Amino acid sequence: MTSLAALGKRAAPVFACIGLLAAWQVASLALKNDSFPTAIEAIRAIPDILGDKESLINILASLRRMAIGFGVAVLISIPLGLLMGRSRAVAAFFNPLLMVIYPVPKAALMPIIMLWLGVGDITKTLVIFLGVSLPVIYHSFEGAKAVEEKMLWSGAAMGLSPAQRLVRIVLPAALPEILTGCRTGLVLALITMITSEMIARQSGAGNILFNALDMGQYDTVFAMIIIVGAMGICLDAIFERVRARLVRWSEPQFDMPLSFS
Amino acid sequence: MKVVPSRSSEWVKPVTPQKPASAIIEIKGVSQVFQTSARKDHVALSDISLTIDEGAFVSILGPSGCGKSTLLYVVGGFVSPTSGSAKIKGRTITGPGPDRGPVFQEFALFPWKTVLGNVMYGPRQQGVRATEAEAQSRALIEMVGLKGYENFYPKELSGGMKQRVALARTLAYHPEVLLMDEPFGALDAHTRTRLQNDLLNIWERDRKTVLFVTHSVDEAVFLSDKVVMMSTSPGRIRQVIDIDLPRPRRRNELLLDPRYQKYVVDIERMFDEVEETGSPS
Repeated sequence: MTSLAALGKRAAPVFACIGLLAAWQVASLALKNDSFPTAIEAIRAIPDILGDKESLINILASLRRMAIGFGVAVLISIPLGLLMGRSRAVAAFFNPLLMVIYPVPKAALMPIIMLWLGVGDITKTLVIFLGVSLPVIYHSFEGAKAVEEKMLWSGAAMGLSPAQRLVRIVLPAALPEILTGCRTGLVLALITMITSEMIARQSGAGNILFNALDMGQYDTVFAMIIIVGAMGICLDAIFERVRARLVRWSEPQFDMPLSFS
Repeated sequence: MKVVPSRSSEWVKPVTPQKPASAIIEIKGVSQVFQTSARKDHVALSDISLTIDEGAFVSILGPSGCGKSTLLYVVGGFVSPTSGSAKIKGRTITGPGPDRGPVFQEFALFPWKTVLGNVMYGPRQQGVRATEAEAQSRALIEMVGLKGYENFYPKELSGGMKQRVALARTLAYHPEVLLMDEPFGALDAHTRTRLQNDLLNIWERDRKTVLFVTHSVDEAVFLSDKVVMMSTSPGRIRQVIDIDLPRPRRRNELLLDPRYQKYVVDIERMFDEVEETGSPS
């Protein structure tokens, strides 16, 4: 009984995907629209894309920019967020700045950045960096703020300096919250990656997608959408594995089965 | 009710070793004022002076809001007083240090560390080698009755067990003074009693100086050599009562002792007065 329930829980996301594809297939057959291929047609186009060397280079270039943008953003945002969470002065300085940047769609900044830095890798990576930074800073900030004062006092009594307390108490104590921010950041990295390539069409997964759109190859367009979606699912599943390992010690909490891990 | 005299005779004679007591902590004229709003200041502590002898178990007793925890935080160096000073062994306290080990009501364990990792943290920070720190920590974990739980994370432990870990973690770096801030306040009555007994057993072995904040009268009388009764708004010392009960103390004997009972009744009456009237200004 329990194993059956467990099996159901594991299989549920698979059923959801199959259901979505089936609905797509039915809708497409019913509408008979050229720009809306059936699910089967779109899936058939996937091997063509993944088998093409040019396309693979494009997709890998996208992933590389995304990895760099995400990595640099995390490395800068976590320390900044933690400092803001523990120092009123730092928070008072950065909070208004971040509040101004937060609601601006990062892609909207692209034309300006393109003027300054061109249409190359730097521009796109910078946009990904901006997209990832804010949620990571915000969650690190909240996590650091919530660290129990008495825990820091205990550390101080053992002889930890303020800097040591930040690295060895605030950082691990806030880690569950920080990783929640990183997970949001990862999804945003993927979104900004595609949007940046949509605006600065030169290479990348977004470039393949919009070129196909221009040429009316709708099966390729939808195949790329599936590929990008699958990349999102895979990255999130990998991240969730790592996260679960790192914060095994934290309180069990209700987690929506949003990933396939 | 007739009071049954104790059958045990060994604890009737005074057994406290008559070492010349020297002051380890001196609190002089400490006041603490918190700004609660722009117009109003809250005087948490008003002109507190208190001397604590080395090796003494001193409880600070009082109603909530009398500043008893704040006084403990001043000694811990976690809070600096608005005026006055606190000294340990003649040195003015300017911040926290490993000579004063806190144990908090909230446990404040490091949740990402196992029981062993928590207890080893202090000695490792003090530069004790890993193998040595581990051996000492394992012995301490056994002493507080948690053998077999070395690799558990705090979230897997009950409140009483967490507080045992917290005590072991603090004892592990050999502070000269234990600062206990209502350590058993969050525990159920039974667990509380067991931890009081165990704390007393541990304390009677090495007689570390203990400053113990509580709002429980019997806890204070049962554990202490001295009870400092505080009154509220502003926080002041109302009276210091010497608890002249012999050691080692055993709960089953003590509860039947008329002297213990008189202390409890007297201090409870004083507590009621303090709660009704606050500090006479």
